[in-house]
Amino acid sequence: MAVSLDRRTGIVALLYWIWDGVDRTIFTAIKFSFPARFVSPFGFLGMLTFSTFIILGVTGALLMFYYQPILDRAWDSVAFINDDVPFGFHIRNIHYHGSNAMVLLAVLHMYYQYFSGRYKIRNEILWMTGVILGVVTILEAFTGYDVIFSERAELAISIAASLTTSIPVVGPTIRDAALGSGFSDFVLRFYAQHVFLLPIVMLGLMAVHFPRFLVFDVPMVMAIGGAILITGGVFPIDMGFKFEPTVPPGVTVPEWYLTGIYAFMRTQYDKFVTGLLWPLVFIISLVLIPFLDRYKKFSWRDRPMVTAFGITSLAQIMVTTYWGFYISPDVSIPLVERLVIDPIFFYGVMILLVPLGFGFTYMMIKLANEAERKSKLAKNTGPQKVATINLSDKWINWLLVALLAFQVFLNIAAYNAALTGMKNVSLFLIGIILLVFAAFFHIYRYALSQQKSAPPPAPVRIVEDFPELSESEVIPEVTADSTSETSKLPDGTSEEKPKELAPTVPTTTKADLDIGTNNNTNLGSQDLTKP
Amino acid sequence: MSEVGTKKSDGLSRRDFLRLMGAAGTGLAFAPFIPFGDFMPNPNQASLEKVPVILPDGSQANMNTYEINSAQVITYPSTGDPALDAEAFRKWQFIRLPEELGGGKTDTTGIRAYSMICLHLWCLWKYWPEDGRKRGECPCHGSMYDPTTGTAFVGPASVQAAPSNTLPELTLEIDSDGFVFILPPKFDANNNGVIGYGRFA
Repeated sequence: MAVSLDRRTGIVALLYWIWDGVDRTIFTAIKFSFPARFVSPFGFLGMLTFSTFIILGVTGALLMFYYQPILDRAWDSVAFINDDVPFGFHIRNIHYHGSNAMVLLAVLHMYYQYFSGRYKIRNEILWMTGVILGVVTILEAFTGYDVIFSERAELAISIAASLTTSIPVVGPTIRDAALGSGFSDFVLRFYAQHVFLLPIVMLGLMAVHFPRFLVFDVPMVMAIGGAILITGGVFPIDMGFKFEPTVPPGVTVPEWYLTGIYAFMRTQYDKFVTGLLWPLVFIISLVLIPFLDRYKKFSWRDRPMVTAFGITSLAQIMVTTYWGFYISPDVSIPLVERLVIDPIFFYGVMILLVPLGFGFTYMMIKLANEAERKSKLAKNTGPQKVATINLSDKWINWLLVALLAFQVFLNIAAYNAALTGMKNVSLFLIGIILLVFAAFFHIYRYALSQQKSAPPPAPVRIVEDFPELSESEVIPEVTADSTSETSKLPDGTSEEKPKELAPTVPTTTKADLDIGTNNNTNLGSQDLTKP
Repeated sequence: MSEVGTKKSDGLSRRDFLRLMGAAGTGLAFAPFIPFGDFMPNPNQASLEKVPVILPDGSQANMNTYEINSAQVITYPSTGDPALDAEAFRKWQFIRLPEELGGGKTDTTGIRAYSMICLHLWCLWKYWPEDGRKRGECPCHGSMYDPTTGTAFVGPASVQAAPSNTLPELTLEIDSDGFVFILPPKFDANNNGVIGYGRFA
């Protein structure tokens, strides 16, 4: 082999060798794309959910080092993690708020796919596994907040166990086999399910659920991570009260993703119907949606019935979620009146939301069609106006330097806060660091895409349209590159001719970038145009 | 019929199908005799005997000193393992009834021991001795229990069909010195009741 003149030596050669080896693995079947510009995160909410899953896996593994799934020690071990273990507070808060973020992102992901009709045309399996994955995600989050075994967790475990027992015929057997015979078993087995069984099920479902084309947007992942940390810093999760069997617990409600079901259970009706059958009906109808939706089109505007059902379900989820939370703060009225929801009132509102949801959908479709018609008219008549922020090389460099300096400052501040015991402040600052990193990365890739854009073609002097070009730096360049005819002409007489040439100038010239006329919004998006 | 366009057979002949059915049938016939799931349910860890009623402070309950219209939490069956004894399923509300409901008597009609597991969704209810309440209340969904019978009269537990509206109860005994004992219970719906499920009143 001839002597290589390229620089693939040493560690670089090793990296390339590994990269070539990866070519033989499953990973090349998945097309990762790293967007070179800002793209709407709605398109890759699933990838963000998975990123949160990874965050949860890492922090959860760290929590396992100290957590003890023993009935009378569980709460104390979590208190030890929270108060005494270095950075235990951070890990626990990231884990807790990450679980909320994952459930929220999964729900948003599902509804985005629902309204954009992505579950159609050979995506049915993706959709169905996704719905099941969402249910398992909620179960995973539920088992997670139960293993703390605070008062609230104990009540949640009680409700889960009694709901399992309430299944006709097989319920008690399932409960005895899956959850055990008492609370000592419940804590241990909820833990086993939380850290192993359910994550394994999730990974298996993910292997089916992953599409072949994935978008990994580094700034958005960083921003989500930052949001989780900032939430943890501003609203650090408390310990609750340790469950003491001799001290009956106070009034509590479950986590926000279960209060919807809890509202149904508070209507006094049979616990199996309200706690298991209604959610099951909801889940099954979601699973079956691809087969019920007979519309040939994808957009929510062209599928009024499906959209109306989605809007109605969203409205009902919001109302029940709030209602499940709400307990009258007036302690003078009997507990039963504070806690029991009047079933006629409750189901009446549920039914009322159906026509309201349909009406709202009808209005939204009308408005959207009207807006589209108007924008088409406007496009035909008026100029296309797209607001962009364009920065010159110089300012990009200064901005990057400034963000880097800010990050250094934040790092010192966060470390200092952690050293002085201000745990939530340091968590908040680390969140800000991630956000700043997201901004840094975004500006960096913006700079890269600017660099990649076409070099300036032979420009012409258009003094009247763009007065900035009359700077001394630009003028000599223009005259040098211009045609011999115009360059020989004196400046005063040449002003008429270039004006006629002006429309042929491409929109992305180096000169244009500095003066705000770069309207090419697809710049650097070649990765996203794949099928 | 020409070869062109005929579909290939599905690959399972009648003989193979019958063989498969035979094997599956044999397997299914013996399946109930194999103790598949016995690993998963937890075997009982405590024997049911006659034991004294031990209050949270460690002393044995005595009718001469136990306050009228009050309740404390007792553990039964107690194992000696603090983790297992912390279980809600082993917790009972030991109630001495208020004066007007017969709590002044020193025989077993004045005291009750009900399972603390609410019959609705297994939260832990508690006896409230305040005037105007004097009943068991569950913090989750507000079921209220009559302290004399253990039957729910308001709330979600009260609308459940019998036996799921009446709390399991321990049979108590008082000796000549006033000390209270628990007699060995039979945990089925017709006797002491099933914890979390109920009892026929």
